Amino acid sequence: MIKVTFVEANGKRIEAMAKAGDTLMQAAVGAGVAAIAAECGGACACGTCHCVLSEDWFSRVPAPASDEADMLDFVIDPQPTSRLSCQVVIGEDMQGIEVQVPDSQI
Amino acid sequence: MTQDTPATVLLDPHGAEFAADPYSTYAALRALDGPYYYKEIDTWMLTRMADVEAVALNKTMLRNNEAFISEDARLAQQRAINFHDMPHHERFVQVNLLESEGATHDRLRKVVFREFTPAMIARQREAIQSFVDRLLDSLSDQDEVDFVGDFAAHVPGHIIGRILGVPDEDCPQLRHWSEEVVRFFDPGRGDEDKARAEQATKEFYEYLLDLLAERERAPQDDLLSRLIGHRDGGRLSQDELISTAMLILMAGHGSTIDVLGSGMHALLRYPEQHERLREDPSLMKTAVQEMFRYESPLPFFHRFATEETEVGGKLFPAGTRFGLLYGAANRDPARFENPDKFDVGRTPNRHMAFGGGGHFCLGNHLARLDMDVIFSTLNTRFAAISLAEETPEYKRGLSVRGPKALRVAWQRA
Repeated sequence: MIKVTFVEANGKRIEAMAKAGDTLMQAAVGAGVAAIAAECGGACACGTCHCVLSEDWFSRVPAPASDEADMLDFVIDPQPTSRLSCQVVIGEDMQGIEVQVPDSQI
Repeated sequence: MTQDTPATVLLDPHGAEFAADPYSTYAALRALDGPYYYKEIDTWMLTRMADVEAVALNKTMLRNNEAFISEDARLAQQRAINFHDMPHHERFVQVNLLESEGATHDRLRKVVFREFTPAMIARQREAIQSFVDRLLDSLSDQDEVDFVGDFAAHVPGHIIGRILGVPDEDCPQLRHWSEEVVRFFDPGRGDEDKARAEQATKEFYEYLLDLLAERERAPQDDLLSRLIGHRDGGRLSQDELISTAMLILMAGHGSTIDVLGSGMHALLRYPEQHERLREDPSLMKTAVQEMFRYESPLPFFHRFATEETEVGGKLFPAGTRFGLLYGAANRDPARFENPDKFDVGRTPNRHMAFGGGGHFCLGNHLARLDMDVIFSTLNTRFAAISLAEETPEYKRGLSVRGPKALRVAWQRA
């Protein structure tokens, strides 16, 4: 299992134990991270599972595909290291990753 | 796969009983040991959230079956649907973003998505507020109204018209066209419904052609002008532009009226929840979310399996049609605590009223903003609202959910 820590806008930290192959979105929803709305269920079709990675983690995970990059233009307050959590697959090498979650997705 | 299901469970979505309470039928179907075969439309009905979600997210499940049936079968299918000659309807309504898949769907969706983002929709807040205020002013001398017919039915068409770029004075006409065009989708449609759907499509098409010509001469800050830009940039064809404009009108119209009606009804049925919302307006977002879950306005969609697939623990062959009963999934106790309780503060509330997967509703932010503005305004302008009839009658059928009318009495604040 891989430990993923979600940090909410108010600073609250929520730890999740995720399986390799799951997405960050699945881990967040499973751990009850309310700000990851993930309304379309993980199809890169709604833009409501926005999260922000550190520069270090952003450079270590595979880059966003064009669909995700297009969608990221429309999330609230996009950052250079923004990702849609439904498109980030958790790998064995992601032990201890921290993920910032915005206050709201809509 | 055998098609036997216990005779004790009967799905009769056409009757008054189902319209009054579809949820006990949904619960009985959910208690079966797998999907329920509904012979009338040759469809396996899914009522559990896990199954509905899995099928909606499965990329091998498609909205139309044209990819895997023969050309002869496809033509026969079209003839069976079109016993009337409906050239405009077929060209602009039966083929659109919603019905497309794959690269065409992705291309069209990308064009429309940017128009319906939270930021774009937030620009409409003032216009919605001002229209709602004017409408309520016009009803202010009445102590009792039909919340659906006198009020809710006027709002979505007006706002969608504004977004498209239709002049205010033409917006009432949009509502008429929208209601006529969707007559084709009524399960009990007859020749007259089809003729009226075709006539309205033709009129709306001709209207759009004139408006497009105006926007070509003098572009405005509106959706039609931007669609022209996309057309000229090669991102969609002229027919796709028309069908997209029609879909935007239809998709956001009836369902928003329905959920406004059922949402109001829910608040009136559960006055303690209404009071809670009045006392804490910060609950409006979760309240609106709950209105969509509690009475999902579009409770039924379908998908076709393009390959052999396991659903709900059973194996189904390619070509199987599945019914996604969103209205049932949204009351599944495996996903929601006390699913039959209307709770304006429900969190989390991961319902599927807007569908899921690649066809997730593009207009969701607009519908939610309409609701937010309307219920916030009602709570400010009226000291009390109550139900003025005992049991409002809901529309019949599997595909829609909302009261036909809703008599309410209100006292101004």
